[in-house]
Amino acid sequence: MCGGALKAPPCLISMISYIIRRIGQSVVVLFVVSFLCFGIFQFLGDPVLTLAGRYATQEQQELVRRTLGLDKPFYVQYAIFIRNALRGNFGLSYTSQVPVMRMILERFPASLELALVAMFIALTLGITLGVVSSLRPRSPLSRAIMAGSLLGISLPTFLVGILLILIFSVWLRVLPPFGRGEVMRIVGRWRSGLLTLDGLRHLILPAITLGLYQLAVLLRLTRGGMLEALAEDYTRTAWAKGLPQRAVIFKHALRNVLIPVVTMAGLQMGELIGFSIVTESIFQWPGMGNLLLTAIYESDHPVIVAYVMFVAGLILFINLAVDILYGILNPKIRYD
Amino acid sequence: MKGRVAWILIGLFVAILGSASILGMAKDTLVVAVMAPPRTMNPHGSDADCNLQIMANIFDGLLQRDADGNLLPALATSWERVDALTWRFHLRQGVKFHNGNDFTWEDVKFSLERLKEPYPVSEFLAFGGAIAEVRPVDGDPWTIDIVTTKPVPWFVQNLHQIFIMDKESTETRSIGEIGEYPIGTGPYKFVEWVKGSYLKLEANEDYWGGPPPIKYVVFKPITESSTRVAALISGEVDLIQDVPVELFDMVKSSPNAEIITRPSRRSIWLGLRNSPGFPGSDVRVRKAIYMAINEDEIIEKVMMGHAFPCSQIPDPPTVGYDASIERLPYDPEEAKRLLAEAGYPDGFTIKLTGPNDRYVQDEQIAQAVATQLAKVGIRVELDIKPKAIFFPEIDQHGLDFYLIGWFDGSYDFGRSFTKLLHTVDPERGYGGLNGASYSDPVLDKLLEASSSIVDPTLRADALRLLNRVAMQEKIAVIPLHYQEDTYALYKPSNVQFQPRPDGWIVCKDISFGE
Repeated sequence: MCGGALKAPPCLISMISYIIRRIGQSVVVLFVVSFLCFGIFQFLGDPVLTLAGRYATQEQQELVRRTLGLDKPFYVQYAIFIRNALRGNFGLSYTSQVPVMRMILERFPASLELALVAMFIALTLGITLGVVSSLRPRSPLSRAIMAGSLLGISLPTFLVGILLILIFSVWLRVLPPFGRGEVMRIVGRWRSGLLTLDGLRHLILPAITLGLYQLAVLLRLTRGGMLEALAEDYTRTAWAKGLPQRAVIFKHALRNVLIPVVTMAGLQMGELIGFSIVTESIFQWPGMGNLLLTAIYESDHPVIVAYVMFVAGLILFINLAVDILYGILNPKIRYD
Repeated sequence: MKGRVAWILIGLFVAILGSASILGMAKDTLVVAVMAPPRTMNPHGSDADCNLQIMANIFDGLLQRDADGNLLPALATSWERVDALTWRFHLRQGVKFHNGNDFTWEDVKFSLERLKEPYPVSEFLAFGGAIAEVRPVDGDPWTIDIVTTKPVPWFVQNLHQIFIMDKESTETRSIGEIGEYPIGTGPYKFVEWVKGSYLKLEANEDYWGGPPPIKYVVFKPITESSTRVAALISGEVDLIQDVPVELFDMVKSSPNAEIITRPSRRSIWLGLRNSPGFPGSDVRVRKAIYMAINEDEIIEKVMMGHAFPCSQIPDPPTVGYDASIERLPYDPEEAKRLLAEAGYPDGFTIKLTGPNDRYVQDEQIAQAVATQLAKVGIRVELDIKPKAIFFPEIDQHGLDFYLIGWFDGSYDFGRSFTKLLHTVDPERGYGGLNGASYSDPVLDKLLEASSSIVDPTLRADALRLLNRVAMQEKIAVIPLHYQEDTYALYKPSNVQFQPRPDGWIVCKDISFGE
């Protein structure tokens, strides 16, 4: 095992140094991301035009530009931004004049809940259907599931969303087409729709839309893994021992298949939170993606840069967490 | 056994989900789905209509406009123009802000001066910058004079969208708080704003114009138009703004939905450079382009019937609109002849710039124009881009030929012309949105002459003359059509609603029928 009694075990040390290295890399990534963001702003619309009003003279536009510091060269603006960001100050939104981090954190719960429910649907249905379709790969049911998963991968999100709204809201009238419904205030500005019936009803369609692609990916991953595992010697031994079907499938085969599936799901989680823009816009979901879209529409640069930094940070964090968890689940992994 | 319990549970769950949508509440709330979310609750923080229309429910201006665009008293009971620079207002007495503070002339002074702050407050900088002084007349706090730095003939025309704030609560709160919690004198009081979800307002029972008919109003932004339509058809909302052309038939086919339309204030037109050496400097070429465009076809095929041909930039309620101006006929043969006469028998190549996310079917209109002009030999290179890139190019004045839409928030063609077509002169505030540096000394003179006329009737005549010369003689722009404003109502709610020229949803004028 690892080292003596007084010293920390070397494998723990290597893990800590690994984590430190990863955090260091993350900081570099965040710098690069913020720099790119600023670079892109040079080519986006000029916020001063709207901020000064439709009838402003050029002189008044210049006044606004100076007040905002937008007359300074690109690198100076970037340096000021970094200095403020290091103090946790990402500035005020141009259009609403509210601190941007507050705006993003206000929207974060909605995006997080949507992503969690979407991931829940994708995991449960994905694994179940994956197992079902692996048991009798040639049966009509399995073929139907596989065909469905192809649709899930290839249908664009906005089409899925609009079709679901058409079927369940307009034709059947069982589910609401937009919004979060009734929410309960948990603490401060954190509101949850998971605790009310109305909130849950509003979650179903957007969560399915958002999770459909991930569902299809997890389904195919599970099915592939299961087909392999079911052909392995240890599974055959289990069958030969006369173990009940349930024990063979779930205890022996599925358990081994789950490791890559769960890793994949973890990595997808960040994307579900960060890139739910299309889904949020179709269902008017009041999350961060919707905020970003409005901000781009209004050339609200502080909101855009803070959003990108927030999501980049989130994805980096999740990836790191998944890597560490993976090592705990599977001790064969080395952090080198 | 276990399986059956699960199925029963699932069945119950589905039944509950379904039934919850059927149970309604007693109708004391109007739910309006708007196409763009409000940006801020600071009434001077945005001059976008999506924001102003909400502010008009919470705040009052000195004046207001009715559903036909007429200027009416609000916080001022009457007004007059004393001389070229001075406007006199008699203020309404006994009005209270939603926090209980009394409305006084100091609030007017404070609000108008606030318009001058460049950031983080005002999108009405140009208007605020023109105000020199606000003072009571002869010590009477209910009669005030507003003095401008230079003659602003349209000054009162703009006062329906300059909202009056409470001095005390605005001075003591941070800009963030002001932007999230509005305190006005208007017919509705602020209740709650969950950004991206809804804004809830409650009737102001003490409103000086009498309590509004509907107790609660909820504005919900739904930016995706097909979702907005679905929300209406499924009865989630009572009234929606902006039904896109392609979804019109879907709304009409639903037994629960009813469409209301009216011509929009906004006209769509083409700007064209006229600098020497450029084909557009010859008025025959301008006429040829005009006559080569089949507007009826654009309305029928591109706008699917939902637009109205226009012959000028302003709309009927605007000062300077002239009903006698007619469109040039569609006549491609005559257009070819004019081109040949102007020295372009084989046409020429021109770049048409336009936005693709600003106006109804904007990109498609530009494509149709390109196809139609090709038939008379004018080769159009399309240069279509997002508005965030397009509008800064307008500000650079370097375009040759561009598609743009316009309506004047202050209902004044003189103001429009100042911005759109007067020779570019930033020092004097002319031509800020003149995208192709259009320049004509005759038109410039006509405009400048009109701005010193104090008498509103004479000034309107002068602006009509300017409009006629610009459109009939000079072909200063090539007009296409007025857009159509569309709304849809959820019939079972029986909402009594009359659309306004400005497209605002002013809830005190809306009620539930019996």
